[in-house]
Amino acid sequence: MRALVIDDSRAMRLILARIARQLGFDVVEAGNGQEALDRLEELDTVPELALIDWNMPVMNGLEFVSAVRRDTKYKAMTLMMVTTESEQSQIVRALAAGAHEYVIKPFTPDAIVEKLALLGLVKNGVQV
Amino acid sequence: MTVQHKPNTEELVSIAEMVWSSYLDPDGVRPLVVDPAPGWGLGPTDVVATVAISGAWDGRVLLSFSPPAARRAAAALLAIAEVDDVGEGDVADAVGELANIIGGSVKSLMPQPTVLSLPAVHTGAFPDLGGEVCRVTGTWDGEPVSVAVHEVAVYVGVSRTGETSQ
Amino acid sequence: MTLTAGEFAYISGLVRRDAAIVLEPGKEYLVEARLMPLARQTGAATVSEFVTRAQQRPEPDVHRRIVDALTTNETSFFRDGEPFTAMTGMVLPELLTSRSTTRHLRVWSAACSSGQEAYTLAMQLHDNLPHGWTYEILGTDISTEVLARAEAGRYSQLEVNRGLPAAALVKHFERVGSHWQVSPNLRKNVSFRRLNLAAALPALGQFDVIFLRNVLIYFDVATKRAVLERVGSLLKPDGWLFLGSAETTIGIDDRFDRVVTGRTSAYRLRPAGTRNGAATLGMAGKG
Repeated sequence: MRALVIDDSRAMRLILARIARQLGFDVVEAGNGQEALDRLEELDTVPELALIDWNMPVMNGLEFVSAVRRDTKYKAMTLMMVTTESEQSQIVRALAAGAHEYVIKPFTPDAIVEKLALLGLVKNGVQV
Repeated sequence: MTVQHKPNTEELVSIAEMVWSSYLDPDGVRPLVVDPAPGWGLGPTDVVATVAISGAWDGRVLLSFSPPAARRAAAALLAIAEVDDVGEGDVADAVGELANIIGGSVKSLMPQPTVLSLPAVHTGAFPDLGGEVCRVTGTWDGEPVSVAVHEVAVYVGVSRTGETSQ
Repeated sequence: MTLTAGEFAYISGLVRRDAAIVLEPGKEYLVEARLMPLARQTGAATVSEFVTRAQQRPEPDVHRRIVDALTTNETSFFRDGEPFTAMTGMVLPELLTSRSTTRHLRVWSAACSSGQEAYTLAMQLHDNLPHGWTYEILGTDISTEVLARAEAGRYSQLEVNRGLPAAALVKHFERVGSHWQVSPNLRKNVSFRRLNLAAALPALGQFDVIFLRNVLIYFDVATKRAVLERVGSLLKPDGWLFLGSAETTIGIDDRFDRVVTGRTSAYRLRPAGTRNGAATLGMAGKG
């Protein structure tokens, strides 16, 4: 399975990629929503998972989520936002835009793994 | 024009501890030791990362590390096995991201709507900004660390319209 | 630095007497880790020093805090997932039928720790019970410290990040500073009290569902039996009992049938007069 990691912070991309790889995912990275859409076009299969930051230049995470949810091509991709935005209203907006899950920074790796288990993407600490 | 809420030191400590236990001290063996009056302070070679919060509230969050603490933070965050292998770019990325995360948590305590700037990282003592709201000082593995929240002064007679951009 | 055998024996004797918890040799690391914060608070440099002092000058308050520190279990929302899937897939649909006249459910979260399990159940009942139904949830634990936390229903960002669907977070919690608090309309149906499962239980009424998860493992077999006996007597004849994923009543108490559902099990009292120890076929729930 493949995970798309989208964050403008190199440090955060490293952290998320590490967690995803440890779970057995192949990882593709992008620095903002537009780059991520471009990468998606290039890939021959749709990633099963996208870990998406909110605040990014060019196209932010919310815009990326909306764009992807409008396109039936990417229906199978699970969208999990990973962001510092922690106001209740922001989480509501993200879920309304079509994000499947939401992790607030700072997060522990367990938090991501458990949410992936809730979504059925991970079982016993490994991708299904 | 009263600000409904300003973060206090307790909340800032709580935010810092959350960040430490998530990224820098996951096993709980190298915690941030909060010390309101540490025996020594930060110096001219500090690594300082700042993020600005603007909108319904204007302020800055500053995260300062001594150079050894900054390298250790980068090693921990980026999973670099040897602290000696940590480069300047790694330090900037790591400390910047930590300031981003702390800034995001502080931002969520303040009146909305606000936006968080990208982190700016530099070396050297920061000029006294004034308007300090609260500060956490401490040591991590014996090295000085501090987190401070400053409110940006508002000039009398100049009003800011808080537009909702989102 | 590490506890001496004598110090460990003193602590394990203490928790065994006060809470019927068995700490076998080999668990010294656990005692060290759990008592370190307490040792620091009382000004002791090491856990060893703290224990020696507690031994030499026994104080009821210090004893209580030692027991508290060692009986606190880590817990989280929707812990292990499966039992809660069983709740919505099998237990609640069945109760919606069988309780259609009273339209009221009583649930007990025994060994509730800081309350996440009790509030998880509250979220499920709130979301799945039709209008006109009411529910009450009782959370009990032996530790007064965690009960205070449970009562407040306020959790840190790190705690709500764990295992709790984001949709549930925004629906059932309100932000309070950098913490999140369970909303009042859930909290009003959840109450907490201190209770020692290893001792005689007060009159609590009977429950439709009892969660007794990850607490039996701390007891020896005799105490396990006694606890299941007492807890079982508070379960309605057609009620449901959930244990921890590594726990079972089999071999301990033959009054229960095991019902396999999805990847977990629940337990129900056998009809009176059929205590024959034979395993029954599982009933697959919708999961």
